[in-house]
Amino acid sequence: MATIAVQAPQKRRGPAVAPRVRRKHDRSDNQMLKRDYRDMVAGALLCAAGLFITLYAIHNYQVGTLRRMGPGMFPMGTGVLLTFFGIMLFIPALFRPGSRVSLRFWSPLFVLSSIAAFALLVGPFGLFPAVMGVVVISSMAELEIRPASLAGLVAALCTMAWLIFKVGLGLSLPMLNWPF
Amino acid sequence: MDFFGNVMMGLETALTLTNLFYCFLGVFLGMLVGVIPGIGVLSAISLLFPITFYLDPTTALIMLAGIWYGTGYGGRTASILLNIPGSASNAVTCLDGYPMARQGRAGVALFMTTVASFVGGCIGILVLMLFAPIIASYAITFGSAEYFALMVLGVVAASTISDGSVIKGLAMVVLGIAFGTVGMDSQTAASRFTFGVIELLDGLSLIALAMGVFGVAEVISSVRRVEVGEVLKQNVGMRSMKPTRDDVRRSWMPMLRGSGIGTFFGTLPGTGPAVASFMAYVVERRVAPQPERFGHGAIEGIMAPEAADNAAEQTSFVPTLSLGIPGSATMALMLGVLMIHGITPGPSLINSQPQLFWGLIMSFWIGNVLLVILNVPLIGLWVRLLTIPYRLLYPSVLMFICIGAYSISYSAVDVWFILFFGALGYLMRVLGLPAAPLLLGFVLGPLMEEHFRRAMLLARGDFLVFLERPVSAAVMTLTVLLLVWSGVSALRRRNRGPVAT
Repeated sequence: MATIAVQAPQKRRGPAVAPRVRRKHDRSDNQMLKRDYRDMVAGALLCAAGLFITLYAIHNYQVGTLRRMGPGMFPMGTGVLLTFFGIMLFIPALFRPGSRVSLRFWSPLFVLSSIAAFALLVGPFGLFPAVMGVVVISSMAELEIRPASLAGLVAALCTMAWLIFKVGLGLSLPMLNWPF
Repeated sequence: MDFFGNVMMGLETALTLTNLFYCFLGVFLGMLVGVIPGIGVLSAISLLFPITFYLDPTTALIMLAGIWYGTGYGGRTASILLNIPGSASNAVTCLDGYPMARQGRAGVALFMTTVASFVGGCIGILVLMLFAPIIASYAITFGSAEYFALMVLGVVAASTISDGSVIKGLAMVVLGIAFGTVGMDSQTAASRFTFGVIELLDGLSLIALAMGVFGVAEVISSVRRVEVGEVLKQNVGMRSMKPTRDDVRRSWMPMLRGSGIGTFFGTLPGTGPAVASFMAYVVERRVAPQPERFGHGAIEGIMAPEAADNAAEQTSFVPTLSLGIPGSATMALMLGVLMIHGITPGPSLINSQPQLFWGLIMSFWIGNVLLVILNVPLIGLWVRLLTIPYRLLYPSVLMFICIGAYSISYSAVDVWFILFFGALGYLMRVLGLPAAPLLLGFVLGPLMEEHFRRAMLLARGDFLVFLERPVSAAVMTLTVLLLVWSGVSALRRRNRGPVAT
C-alpha cells in the first residue's frame, strides 16, 4: 500500500515544478529480463545465510531437546526458516520476468570509504581530522568537487561537532592528536 | 492511584526543565526531518540514539517520541509546497495539498493541516491514556506462551501488511532474529556467533544496525538523486492562512473520520501512519458527495489523511507500552531505549514505572502544542529549509552517524559495524529486501527466544501448549489467517497480470 501512496504524487507532477528526483545514472530501468534475477540472487543469498547459520549452530553449540533447549536450538530454527524462505523466494523467481536492477557503484564506494576513513582517523588523530575525512570523501560521491563550498562545510561541521559533542554533551574526545 | 493523580504526576514529570527541553528538541528535530525529503524518521531516531545513553530513560523516550510525531507535522510541508512527500505517511497529502498550493492557497492548506494534525494527535493521545492501562492490567496474567504468540503475530503482521513481497518481509524478520542471537546466550552463557571477537559478546549493537541499515543505506541511494525543487513562491504569512467559512464547514467531519481511522490503524501491529493516512483518503473519496473534486485541491483530501497520520502516530504507542510488543520498527527502537536502560518492556511497565508512562504521555500534549507553535507563526522558517541542497546535508548526516557510533564506547569497532551494516543495507535495497522487519526481528528476537524456551520448559517440550491456552490459541489462529490471506492475495495479484514489484 505504501508503494502506491509514494508513487501516486509523481504521476501528478505539474509542469511548473522542476523535477526533484532524476535518474541519470540508471540505465534502462524499464527493460525487462527473462527471469527475475534480483529475487533469484536475494533468494540464493538468504538460502546460503540460512544454511550457514544452521550448520554452524549444529556443529558448535549444544542443540538440546525441546524440553530443555541448548544454546544452539533457537539459532538452528532461524537458520532452517531462513533457508526455507530463501528457497521460496528463489523458485518462483525462475519462472517470472523481472526488471533490470540499477546497481550504483560510486556512491556506495565513496560513502562507505568515508566511514572507513573516520574509523581509521579518529583514534590516532582525533575528531577534526576524522570529520574532515568523512566530509571530504563522502562529498566526492557527488562526482564533482566544489573546493570553496567543501571547505566551508568542513569548517562548519567541525565547529558544530565541537559545540555539540564537546561543549554540549561533554564527551571526552580529543579534537586533535599528533601520534608521532 | 486514580486516573487524575496519575495525570498530575505525569504532568509534573513532563514539565521539568530537562524534559521540557528534550521534548522541544525532539519535536524540533522531527519537524526538521519531516520537512527535508531524503532523511527518514528512522534514520533521524537512530542518529539521536547514542545521546540517549546520557539521559534518563523517560527523557530519552520523550525526545525520541517527539521526533516520531514531529515528522507527522513536518512531512506535509514538502507535500503541499513541493509535491514531494517529506515522509511516507504524508504521501497522499500531495494529491490535494499541492493543487491547493498551486491555486494560491498554500497558507490555508498548511494552517488547516496543522489543525488536523493537532486534533488527530489529541484524539490519539486520549485513546492511549484510556486504553493502554486497561490492556496492560488484562495482559498482566499472560504467560510465556501468550507472549511468544503475540510477538509472532506482531512480526508476521509487520511483514505481511507492509508493501512488497510477504516472503521477503518474513525472511528479513528471521534474519533479524538470527542477528539477535549473536552474543552471550542469556540462559547458558555460551557465546554464540561471536567468531572470537570480544566486542560481539554483548551482541550486535542496535545503534550500529539501525544507523547502518537505515541512515547510511538511505544516503547511498539518495546521493545525486534528491535535488532541491522549486518551492512555489508564495506568501505563507499569518494572513494567508485564514480559511474561508466553506473550508471550515467541509473540514471538520473528514478530520474526525480521519482521526478515528488513524486511531484504529495505529494500534494494530504492522499498520502504521502510512497505511492509516492512505485508508483515510480512500474513505473520504468514497463518502464524498462530489468525488471528482478530489485531486484538484479538495480540502477534505488533506484534512483526513493528516488527522489519521497523527492519530496513528500516537496510538502506535498502545501495544508498545501496554504489551511491550512494538508494531513497527520505530516502536522497536523505543523499546530498545528501555532495554538499554535495563527496563523490561511489558504489561507491568505502567505499574512499575508510572512516572515514565504518564510522563511520556503528558509530554505528548506538550509536544503537540509546541508543534502548533512551530507550525503556525514560524512556518516561513521551515519553508526556507526546503531549499538546503542535499549535497550539504548528507555529509553532515554521515558525520553525526560516525561520531554517534564512536561515542558509544570510544572505540572504532562500532564505526566498522556501521560500515558493515551500511553495506548490508544498500545490498538489501538493491535486492528489494525491506529493512524495517529486520530491525523489528532484531529487537524482538532475544525476547522471543526467552519466552519460547520458557514456554517449552513449562510444557515439557509440547508444542500444543500454544493451542491449549485460549489467548495464545486465538492469537496463533489470527496469525495463520493473516498468512493465508496474504498468500491468497499475492496469488490473486499474480493471476491478474504481470507482477508489479
